[in-house]
Amino acid sequence: MAEVNMEELLNCALCPNICRCECPVLQVLGREAVAPSGKARLAAMLQQKQLNWDEQVLEAVSNCLGCRGCTIYCPFAELSLCDELLNTRLDAKDGGIKLSVVDPCLVNLSKHGSPYGQKKGSSAAGDSGAEILYFAGCTSQANHPESIEAARALFREAGVPFQMIEEDCCGYPAEVWGDEELARQLAAENRRKIAESGASTLVTNCPECWLTFTDRYPAWGEELPQEVVDGPTYFLGLIKAGKLKPRQSSLGKVSYHDPCIWARTAEKTAEPREILERIPGLSLEEPLSCGKFTRCCGGGSMFQLSFPEASAAIADRRLAEFPEGAAIITACPFCREGLLQDGEGRRVLELIELLAKTCCR
Amino acid sequence: MTEPIRTILQESRPDQAVIDRYARAAAGLIGAENVSANHVDLLSTCRDYWPVNSIWMLEGAVPALPQLVVWPQSTEEVSQLLALANEQRIPVVPYGEGSGALGGVIPLRGGVMIDLKRMNKLRSLDQKNLLVTVEAGVNGELYEEHLNRAGYTGGHFPQSLRCSTVGGWLACRAAGQFSTRYGKIEDIAVSTEAVLADGTIFRGRRVPRSSTGPRVDRLMIGSEGIFGVITAATLRVWPLPEKRHLASYTFENLDDGLEAIRLVMRSGARPAVVRLYDAVETGNHFPELSDQRCALILLIEGARTIVDAEQEVIAEHVLANGAEESGSKYVEHWLETRFNISAASRLLQKGAVLDTIEVTTNWHNALSTYLAMQEALKGVEGTIMASGHWSHVYPEGAALYMTVVGFPAEDKITYYKKLWQGAMDASLAEGAAISHHHGIGLHRGLWMAEEHGKGLEVLRRIKGALDPHGIMNPGKLGLEEVAKWQK
Repeated sequence: MAEVNMEELLNCALCPNICRCECPVLQVLGREAVAPSGKARLAAMLQQKQLNWDEQVLEAVSNCLGCRGCTIYCPFAELSLCDELLNTRLDAKDGGIKLSVVDPCLVNLSKHGSPYGQKKGSSAAGDSGAEILYFAGCTSQANHPESIEAARALFREAGVPFQMIEEDCCGYPAEVWGDEELARQLAAENRRKIAESGASTLVTNCPECWLTFTDRYPAWGEELPQEVVDGPTYFLGLIKAGKLKPRQSSLGKVSYHDPCIWARTAEKTAEPREILERIPGLSLEEPLSCGKFTRCCGGGSMFQLSFPEASAAIADRRLAEFPEGAAIITACPFCREGLLQDGEGRRVLELIELLAKTCCR
Repeated sequence: MTEPIRTILQESRPDQAVIDRYARAAAGLIGAENVSANHVDLLSTCRDYWPVNSIWMLEGAVPALPQLVVWPQSTEEVSQLLALANEQRIPVVPYGEGSGALGGVIPLRGGVMIDLKRMNKLRSLDQKNLLVTVEAGVNGELYEEHLNRAGYTGGHFPQSLRCSTVGGWLACRAAGQFSTRYGKIEDIAVSTEAVLADGTIFRGRRVPRSSTGPRVDRLMIGSEGIFGVITAATLRVWPLPEKRHLASYTFENLDDGLEAIRLVMRSGARPAVVRLYDAVETGNHFPELSDQRCALILLIEGARTIVDAEQEVIAEHVLANGAEESGSKYVEHWLETRFNISAASRLLQKGAVLDTIEVTTNWHNALSTYLAMQEALKGVEGTIMASGHWSHVYPEGAALYMTVVGFPAEDKITYYKKLWQGAMDASLAEGAAISHHHGIGLHRGLWMAEEHGKGLEVLRRIKGALDPHGIMNPGKLGLEEVAKWQK
């Protein structure tokens, strides 16, 4: 289990937090207990045994989207409060405390390999032995099969053989909910299947899966033998190679929502925009905050399941930053879900779907 | 089981049964989701960024605990909550984002924290009259961002911009880094809306000025929660500047630098930012510059032709007073780092005691106050650095901002009190005001009698008239003795 870095935690706890304006949870809830330094102080008190675990403490330190918005202005280069809080939460299980609202989701993960319950069918598909393995992730599998269809159509259109395995959740939700043991079990099972696939490259369109494969799997001793490539970079490569040729889109004005992990951890802000620029007929207009300054959609750290009301309020706040009349394009299944909470019925599409619509016959 | 959290300054608290009754009634008024006795909420709102709170935190203690937190969402809800607390004689402390530096929000007598952060709407932007009406709980950076989107600036940039609220600015009579051009918060505020202890709502008028007796709504500016709760304000805004000019200079000594600034202000030029650093701070902030000289940084902004003219007038005065030009890059560096206060977290963890103490000087005593305060701070055993700079400049003087760091061998709180006693004595002896913009809170209340003389009694009488049961932020602004916090 990763150790909490007490010095960094205290740096945050003792700071007036010039990041407060960039913590979406604080800004919608207005609660000091969920301010970055509020959570850091509670975490520090837990470490120093000045505070016992209870559901109220766990609820407060779980109120983190993992969006790293707090790093934008953070003066401490080595500090990632999101990671420190995640590591803090891993102790709660030993204290016998869990968030009751996500208990059914953890049971689902344990039983079915998906937080959403029994899978709707097999996810295995494509050409056995293909060099490319596409990993869709549990959220697309459960809620947005159309984005998986779009990926398949793009591979076929480009003439690229691909395969998909019988996926389990990557383990990300279990870890953010503090069950590292379950996360590691899921990782081990996925790693076995991914290794057996024989593919040389794993492509995923889900930033949470990408982060877990590239950062957590090595930490858990489950490093994947394949190169792991993010969807936007991979599909842009197919366009550049002339294998995908986007045609005119009738969508007109579009605005791109940078998913937090792609923008701030993977630093993939140019690739999705380049794809949009290569689709004729689109005019790209940026939202108020974009690129590495993006603001979370309310979908980070499984918030839609853990804290649905806060998630919806965060989505509303983010949606207000987009230009009127623009279709919102994103590249993350959680962002898609978050932004689809829009009461005004704005059009929200995943980049991969837009690309498939313009490339595939 | 852990021990109950230790409180250092807690005085008497209302009976828990009284608070429980209040909580039920409050939930009926504003919804149960806006009322919390959750211990994590109580722990989180019990403090601000007074360095003493940080020292205690590292020792596993808190200053004092409230018994309830409430989040009203309208002025009417604030009124209902206060009227109820007044009936029950329950102490109430307004809370914004907790960036205060003097213990102003510590709930010394328990009771209720009114957290204003759910009152964060921008009610209207009147472009014709250049006025915005905004609720008290909006975060400063987000307020400015909202105005920028519409092509305006609020002109108020305290170092706490990203971690403070508009209501907090008004309550502690704040000053922003660009204040020489845009004014302090009391110049920017045209009117306030507030609720008194008994629930009375009153709003100032949004006219440029009036000759209609004292403007009572202005009493709230700088009141630090002792009269009631500021719920909204109408503030001036400016079109985003057409041009910005950055310039820096160095002087052989502070005397020359201060004289140059005095003459600039006398000329009528109004640069937005004027900061003159002593040699220690010059070395700390701008290591490329010689630490034997004193840096002056200037930022001028506004309409192009006015900026060009001001630039010329300012250059003339500073160069005539022995300045050497250093270009714009040091100002750019300052702009990039001006909100960064990370050193405090690191030093505190290493066992340091530190603070910043800002006072207001006139020109005639600007240098002598600096020297006297520096001598007093350095004279306390354990001090390793006592430096200063001037900013927030006026035709008649400037704010002097001292920074002190020490590693005392003795008890940290004893050392801290000695630092302040020395600094305040020096400041008062030189004729400076004991605070320019951090306010009074709990700690600086210890010198309010010396600062105000009979004026403090006037303030007490006003407090008595507006809050006869003394429920609003008790123990602050030096109006009464706090037994557990003495000189």
